[in-house]
Amino acid sequence: MSDRPSWLDERTGWKQIWTILFLRKIPKVNWAYTLGSATLFVAINQIVTGILLTIFYVPSPQDAYDSVRYITNTVTLGWLIRGLHHWGASAMVVLAVAHMLRVIIHGAYKYPREVTWITGVGLLLVVIAFGFTGYLLPWDQKAYWATTVGTRIVEVTPIIGDWLLRLLRGGTQLSGVTLTRFFGMHVWVLPAALLLLLATHIFLVFRIGISAPPKKER
Amino acid sequence: MGDEVSRRRFLTRATAAIGALLTAGFGLPAVAYFVSPAKKQETETDWLPLGSSSKVEMGTPTLFKTTIDRTTGWITESEEVSFYVLTENARTYVALSNVCTHLGCRIRWVDNQDEFFCPCHGGVFSKEGDVLDGPPPRPLDHFEVREVDGTLEVNYGV
Repeated sequence: MSDRPSWLDERTGWKQIWTILFLRKIPKVNWAYTLGSATLFVAINQIVTGILLTIFYVPSPQDAYDSVRYITNTVTLGWLIRGLHHWGASAMVVLAVAHMLRVIIHGAYKYPREVTWITGVGLLLVVIAFGFTGYLLPWDQKAYWATTVGTRIVEVTPIIGDWLLRLLRGGTQLSGVTLTRFFGMHVWVLPAALLLLLATHIFLVFRIGISAPPKKER
Repeated sequence: MGDEVSRRRFLTRATAAIGALLTAGFGLPAVAYFVSPAKKQETETDWLPLGSSSKVEMGTPTLFKTTIDRTTGWITESEEVSFYVLTENARTYVALSNVCTHLGCRIRWVDNQDEFFCPCHGGVFSKEGDVLDGPPPRPLDHFEVREVDGTLEVNYGV
C-alpha cells in the first residue's frame, strides 16, 4: 500500500472514518459486550422488514386484517418478512434489556458515560412504545383486546386518567382512529425518535470508547 | 508478526463474507416480496351473460354492460365491463372491447359518423374495430360470442 490516499479517500476521507468506526482500540472484553451490536442488528432488521410491510399493509379497520393475511398467505416470502418483524420485535426487547443489565452490572453507566446511559434509557422506552403500538396493527382479536386492556391501564392515572385514555385511543372507544394514530406513531414518530437517540448513543460510544470490565480487587 | 497480519486479514474477510451473506439474505427475499404482485394472474375463461340478443341493432354496434368480480390484492369488488356487440345477420355476433388499444381509455360509438372514437388521443376505429386514424397500434380486442336461449354470452378470458 502506498502512502498516497486513493482517489475516493482523497475526496471523502472515508479511511479515517473507517478507522474510527471499526479499527478503534478496545479493552479486552467478553461476549456480553456484543449485546449492544446485537440490538443494533435487530433494529436494522426491524427497519428493513417494517418498510417492506408498509408496501402492502393498510391501517384501516376495513383493510388492516385482510392486508396482513394477504402478506402472510399470498405475497412471496411475505410470511418470512412478517415473521422476521414479529419475532424481531420480541428479540429487540430481550436484547435491549440484556444490554442494559450488562451495563448496570459492570457499572459502565458512570462518568463519563452518563449521557450514553440516558439516551439508552430513552431508547428502551422507544422500543417498548414500538412494541405497544405495533401490537395493534394486525387488527385481530388479540391485538384489539390487548390494546383495549393496555390503554385502559392509563385510566388509573389520578385526575388526567380519563383524558389520557381518550388521547391514546383518539376517543372513548378503541376504533379506526386508534389504529391510524398507532400506525402513525409506529412508522413515523417512533422511528424518528429512535434514529435520533440511536445516533447520539452510538456517536458517544465511538467518541468515549467502551469501558473495560471492572477488575477484581486484589 | 506475520501471523498477526494473516489473522487480521482472515477476520476482515470473514466479516465481509458474513456481511455479504446478510445483505443477500435480506435483499433477495425483499426483491421477491416486492415483485410478487407483478406475477401474471390467471383468469379462467368464463362465459359472461350480456343480455337479450334482441337488443342488438342490425349493423350497428350496441353497447352491453355487465359486472364481473375482480380480486386485486385482498379486495374483491364487482367491476363494470362493457362490450360493443355487432351483428350483420342476427345469427353470428362479434363482441368488441370498448377499451382503446392505445392507452386504455374507453371508446364510444359515434352514430352519425359510423366510427368508434376515443376521446383521449383521438383514436378512430371502424365498425369492425380496425384502426382508421390516430395512435392506436392494433384493432380493438375481439371476444367470442354465443347465443343461449336468446341471451348473448361473451367468452371473457383475459
